[in-house]
Amino acid sequence: MVENRPFLSFVTHVTLIVGVGFLCFPVWMALVASSHGPEALSHSPIPLWFGDQMWQNYSDLLFGGMPQVGGVPVGRMMLNSLWMALGITIGKISVSILAAFAIVYFRFPFRMMFFWMIFVTLMLPVEVRILPTFDVVAKLGMLNTRQGLIIPLMASATATFLFRQFFMTIPDELVEAARIDGAGPLRFFWDILLPLSRTNIAALFIILFIFGWNQYLWPLLITADESQYTVVMGIQRMVNSGEQLPVWHYIMGTAILAMIPPILVVVAMQKLFVKGLVESEK
Amino acid sequence: MAEVEIKLLNKVYSGNTRAVTDVNAHIRDGEFIVLVGPSGCGKSTILRMIAGLESISTGELFIDGRKVNGVEPGKRDIAMVFQNYALYPHMSVRRNMEYGLKNEGLPRDQIATRIAEAARTLQLEDYLDRKPRNLSGGQRQRVAMGRAIVRDPKVFLFDEPLSNLDAKLRTQLRSELKALHRRLAATFVYVTHDQVEAMSLADRIIIMNAGRVEQIGTPLDVYERPATRFVADFIGNPSMNLMTGIVAEDRARVVLTSGPTIALSTEVEAAPGTSVDLGIRPEHLRVSDTGGADLTLSVHMVEHLGADTIVHGHIGQDAGALSLRVDGVQDFREHTQVPLAIAPGHLHLFDTQTGQRLNCA
Amino acid sequence: MQKRVIFRSAWLPYLLLLPQIAVTLIFFFWPAYQALESSFFIEDAFGFSRDWVGLQNYAELFRDEGYIRSFRTTLVFGLSVAALSLSVALVLAVAANRVLHAATAYRTLLIWPYAVAPALAGVIWYFLMNPSLGIVAYWLKLMGYDWNHYVNGDQALLMVIVAAAWKQVSYNFLFFLAGLQSIPKSMLEAAAIDRAGPMRRFWSITFPLLTPTTFFLLVVNLVYAFFETFSLIHATTEGGPYDSTSILVFRVYNTGFVGQDYGSSAAQSVILMIMVVLMTFFQFRFVERKVNY
Repeated sequence: MVENRPFLSFVTHVTLIVGVGFLCFPVWMALVASSHGPEALSHSPIPLWFGDQMWQNYSDLLFGGMPQVGGVPVGRMMLNSLWMALGITIGKISVSILAAFAIVYFRFPFRMMFFWMIFVTLMLPVEVRILPTFDVVAKLGMLNTRQGLIIPLMASATATFLFRQFFMTIPDELVEAARIDGAGPLRFFWDILLPLSRTNIAALFIILFIFGWNQYLWPLLITADESQYTVVMGIQRMVNSGEQLPVWHYIMGTAILAMIPPILVVVAMQKLFVKGLVESEK
Repeated sequence: MAEVEIKLLNKVYSGNTRAVTDVNAHIRDGEFIVLVGPSGCGKSTILRMIAGLESISTGELFIDGRKVNGVEPGKRDIAMVFQNYALYPHMSVRRNMEYGLKNEGLPRDQIATRIAEAARTLQLEDYLDRKPRNLSGGQRQRVAMGRAIVRDPKVFLFDEPLSNLDAKLRTQLRSELKALHRRLAATFVYVTHDQVEAMSLADRIIIMNAGRVEQIGTPLDVYERPATRFVADFIGNPSMNLMTGIVAEDRARVVLTSGPTIALSTEVEAAPGTSVDLGIRPEHLRVSDTGGADLTLSVHMVEHLGADTIVHGHIGQDAGALSLRVDGVQDFREHTQVPLAIAPGHLHLFDTQTGQRLNCA
Repeated sequence: MQKRVIFRSAWLPYLLLLPQIAVTLIFFFWPAYQALESSFFIEDAFGFSRDWVGLQNYAELFRDEGYIRSFRTTLVFGLSVAALSLSVALVLAVAANRVLHAATAYRTLLIWPYAVAPALAGVIWYFLMNPSLGIVAYWLKLMGYDWNHYVNGDQALLMVIVAAAWKQVSYNFLFFLAGLQSIPKSMLEAAAIDRAGPMRRFWSITFPLLTPTTFFLLVVNLVYAFFETFSLIHATTEGGPYDSTSILVFRVYNTGFVGQDYGSSAAQSVILMIMVVLMTFFQFRFVERKVNY
C-alpha cells in the first residue's frame, strides 16, 4: 500500500526508540553499576558510564565466595539454577507429552475426569498454595533435595494442552497409515509423533527453561543449604542482608549474570520462541 | 491375491446413526471394484472396515477366506492409499516406503529390492531421498501408491486417491492406475464420488446410497440397466431425464403428468394406474425430422461443448425439466420448440413408491 | 478433542498418564485439600493442638482491616500494572507493525525483558529508585520531587507497579504484534481506498479487531500481577512500608511463614485458589483461549 507520510514514519521510529530506551535503560544502569567499585556507588548521582572494575567484579562474583550468601560463588548458584531449569523443563515436557498422547489417542474409562483434573491446575501457581505444598514436601522428606525442588513443579497443564492441541492438528490419516503399516501405539509415538513434535518441543523448551530458571519462592523455601541456592533467589539474600548496607555493584552484577542465560535463549531462538509463546497461549 | 467377502455388514455409531446397513458383496480375486455414491453414503466406512480402521458393528468380513473382524489393520495383509496421501512428513520417500516393511521385520536386502522395483514402476527413482513436502501432488500420490505396492498386500484399498489432484493429472493417474492393476493382477477396492472415475476404472461398480447397496454390476450394466431410480439418476452426465407418469390400461403406454403419452416397446410388469418414473437418457433422445413427436422440448439454455451439444428445457410449455444431448455442434435457439423422438428400447421405468426398476415383459 | 482412529489398550493410557496425574494429585490436590482442611482449624504455633473453628478463620479475615486493605492494594496494583503494560505494549506494537525494514531489530530489542525474572526486575528498579543513590530518585529530586519509598507507601506501590509493568511489556507486545499481523491487509486497504486516514483506520478497524487479544491479555496480566509478582515484592519492599505493598499472595506467605498463623494462611490460600480457578474458567469460556503460567 502506498502511504507517503514522512511525519508519521518519524513519529513511529521515535516511539520505538523511546520504547526500547524505556526497556533497556534499567538494565543499562545495572550493567554500568556492575562495572564500578564501591566508592563510585556510595554517593549520588551515580555514574552513567562504565567504570574499570568490571572484570574484577565479575570474577569476584563468579568464583569468589559471597559472604552475604554464605560464601557461595555466584557461578555455583548459576549451575544450580541450570540444573533446576533443565530438570523442570525436561520433566515437564516428558510428563506432559505422554499425558497428551494418552488423552488424544486413546479412549478409556475416566478419560474426561483425568482431563479435568489436569485442566483445573492450569493457572494455579505454586505461590497461591505455598504453605500446604511446602507441608506436603516436608512430609515426603523432600526438603533441601533436588527432587523436592524439581518434581512439584513438573506437572504442567499448559504443556499438556499445547501438545494436545498440536496432536489434534495431525491428520487422522497419518495414524491410519501407521496402523496399516503395522505400527502399535508406542511405535507410532516414537517413530511418527515425536519427530513431528520437534518444533513444538523446542519452542516449549525455551518457555519452560525461562520459567524454571526464574523460579524464586520455591527454591527459597526448599533449599536450606547455601550450596544449593539458585541465582534468582540468591540475589534476595544479597539485597535484604540485614544490618549491612546492600553492596550494589555486586548485586547488579549478579542480576546481570542471572538474566544472561534466559535472555540469550530468547534472543538466539527468537523465531521458535515467538511461535511457541503465541501459539501455546492462544 | 485374494477375495474379499462381505456378509451382512452393518455399522452403527453411538447415538444410533447407521452408516452402513446390511451390505453384502463378494469381491473376486484380482478384481477392480469401485465403491461409488454421494458423500455420506457409507462407501468410505465400508473401505475403512475392510482396512480395520473402523470396527464392524455386525456382520462378517473375510479376506482370502480368513475372518478378519477383530484383526489389527497391520495384520490384515492390506495396503491403503489415502486422499491426502498421509505420507509421513518427516521421512524421506524411501523411508516412507520402508516403514511398513521394517515393522514387518523383513530383511534389509529384500526391502531394498522391493523399493527399487516399486520406484522403477512408478518412476520415483530420482525422488527417493526427498521429503514429501518437496514433491508435487502427483508425485506424492505416486509415493503413496509405492508405499502400498512394496507391501505386496492381498488387497489394495484406495480412498478417493485422485480427488486432491487437478483434472489433467487425474486423467493421467487414472490410466496409470488401470495399468498398475493389470500388471499386479491384485484385488483393488477403490472409493470415489466421481462417477466418471468409477466408470472408467472398475471391473464392477458398487453403487451406494444412504448406507445401502443400490446396485452391483459392470459399468455397462449400471449404465444400461440401472436397478433403481437412484442409480439411473446418479450415473451418467448430464443425468437421465426422469418424468413422473402413470401406467395406462394396456400397460404398454405411460401417461406423463406433464401431458404426453409415451408408448413402450413391450408391456410393463406393473398394474395399470401404478405411479412410475419414466427415464430416458439425454443421448437417447433425438430431434424428430418426420414431424411426429413423442415429446416437445421448449429450449431454455444451450451448452456448446464442442464434441456435443446439450440442450436444456422443459416438456411442452412449462412442465418437467428435460435435457437433450446431440453429437457435434448443432444450432438450437432459446425460446423455440423442438419436437423430440425417443430412441426405441432405451426407456427405463421405476416404481415411484419403491424406486425399483420395473421390467418390461 | 478425539481422534477418529484410536489405539486400544486396557493399561497403556493409564501408564502414560501416571506421572502427570501422580504429580497433580500429590502436589496440587493434596495441598489444596490440606489448605481447605486447615482453614477450618486454629493451630497453635508449635502444632501441638488444633481446634475446629468452622468458618471463624474466614470471618476473621474479612473483619481484618489489613486483609481488606490487601484486597484493595491487589486490585490497584493489578489494574495499574495491566493498564500500564498493555498501553505501552500496544503503542509499541502498532509502531513496530508500521516499520517494515527494521522490524526484526526492534522486535529483538523489545522482547528480551520477557526472560528477566520478576525478582530481578524488582531489584533493578529498587536500585534505580533507591532514595540515596538511585539515578531515577536523583532525577526526581532535581525536578523537585522528593522520592523515598522506604517511608512513603504510595511511592513504594508505584515503584513495584512500574517494575512489574516493565517486565510484562514484552509479553504483551508480542501478542499485540501477532494480533496486528493477523489482521487481513485487504481490510486496511479497503479502508484506505475508502479514504480513512491512519488514525481512523486504527480506531475503526485495527482496534476492534484486537479486542479478543486485548481481553485475553487483560486476564493474563491480572493473573500475572495478582499471583506471579510475589517474588518482585518479596525481593524488594517485603510488603512494606506499613503493609502498603502487601498484595494478597504476599500476605498468604507472610501470614503462614512469618506470622505462623496456619489457619488464616490456609483460608487465604483457599480464597486465592477459588479466584484463580474462577479466572481460568472465565478465560476459557469467554475468550476460548489458553492461559499462561
